[in-house]
Amino acid sequence: MLAQRFSAKLENAMSPSRPVVLVVEDHVLIRQGALDIVNSAGFEALEAQSADAAIMILESRTDIRLVFTDVEMPGTMDGLKLVHYIRDRWPPVHLIVASGKAILAESQLPAGAKFFFKPYDETSIIEMMTKMLAEPPRPQH
Amino acid sequence: MVAPINLHPEAALSLTLAVISSSSTPLLLLNEELRVVAASASFCRDFGIDPASISGQELAKVGAGEWAAPQLMSLLEATASGAAEIEAYEMDLNRQGEPVCHLVIRAHKLDYSDKNQVLLVMAVADMTQAHADEKFKDDLVRQKDILLREVQHRVANSLQIIASVLMQSARKVQSEETRGHLHDAHHRVMSIAAVQKQLAASTLGEVELAPYLVQLCKSLSASMVHDHKQLSIEVEVDESVIDADVSVSLGLIVTELVINALKHAFPDHRHGTINVAYHSQGPNWTLSVSDDGMGMPENMEDAKPGLGTNIVEALAKRLEAKVAISNERPGTAVSVAHRQISVVDADVVLETA
Repeated sequence: MLAQRFSAKLENAMSPSRPVVLVVEDHVLIRQGALDIVNSAGFEALEAQSADAAIMILESRTDIRLVFTDVEMPGTMDGLKLVHYIRDRWPPVHLIVASGKAILAESQLPAGAKFFFKPYDETSIIEMMTKMLAEPPRPQH
Repeated sequence: MVAPINLHPEAALSLTLAVISSSSTPLLLLNEELRVVAASASFCRDFGIDPASISGQELAKVGAGEWAAPQLMSLLEATASGAAEIEAYEMDLNRQGEPVCHLVIRAHKLDYSDKNQVLLVMAVADMTQAHADEKFKDDLVRQKDILLREVQHRVANSLQIIASVLMQSARKVQSEETRGHLHDAHHRVMSIAAVQKQLAASTLGEVELAPYLVQLCKSLSASMVHDHKQLSIEVEVDESVIDADVSVSLGLIVTELVINALKHAFPDHRHGTINVAYHSQGPNWTLSVSDDGMGMPENMEDAKPGLGTNIVEALAKRLEAKVAISNERPGTAVSVAHRQISVVDADVVLETA
């Protein structure tokens, strides 16, 4: 496992052009699954356990192109507030939101953000990420 | 409308006073100056007024002055002048040391032979308890709604954990066969999850079958079909709305039969179509999954019954339905039919296998 991660990091270092995706999810098993999805789609995966941690990561680097987040998370901010915050502060970042809450509609999300009902279909998530990351970065407001 | 009373004015007044004082609904009889002519014992009891001192008092000064709401006063004045009637005036009565009472007040001018003396009857209904009951009921309904959402949310999250773990295991194992089993298990979980999703959108515990099966087949196709030009899954479902429990079983049957067809009917990149159909007539229904692939092996013993077959048989039994498999040359058709009443019309007899 460690060796795998290490080799993955080496590979990243050698191909800096792989788009970077930040996974925000508080449940460890779901988070690992999501990181797996991102890696198998051929992107570099970063992880955060809360919205606050996600913001710290977004502040520390400039190469994150997509954030894939859960909604219900402990901390001062939930995933819904997080995506609105990201859209305001880092407009080019693509957003995918997943939740088990049925009432959530895409109208509650910033424009361009996509919603997936949990449990999500991995193929659809990969397709959506690939599609979003194939587009040029979102225009600045 | 009040019927005119044709009594001598004094007799009429004395009758009115008798009626007022014995009324179980809190009542006041007021004169033109809004002074209390008479009050029912129930009024004094319910609103903590001394019956001995109330007669002749101005309504505005009754008790500690809690009845002196300006709007009530002007409505009563308008009623006394004949300009209005109070049908249902709602007010909160605030008395010191007592909880607030939600009142509904009705008042009208008495129509009787003494035109010189104006009298008003004011009836007071205390809605505090009724309001509390209604609020309690509303709160219960809201709580139930919140709990239901919470449960649906937890179920969705739990299914996500199971799905994530299965897929992670599938990626890690070395054996192709084991990987296949883990993927199948993942499809079964997703099939149940698709019902949850439809259920969350409904309120009665019933599921619209068509969107459910369309979504289910879409997700099976997305994860199992690598070349969509080679293989496609078509879904033909009528407008049935069925019990969630039954739809979970139907969904699992479809999952097994479609996985089976995808695995065995189209070897060596053979092109083809899988058709999923559901039709109902009254209580009778038929679910079928057919393909135009290579068909069943000549020697039926070559076809080992796997977990999938067991699942289909078990679920069909649970639904009181019969499973029939037919060789369609080309392809195979499996139908699961439930017959509660026998259908005479030859066109709709589907048990031809």
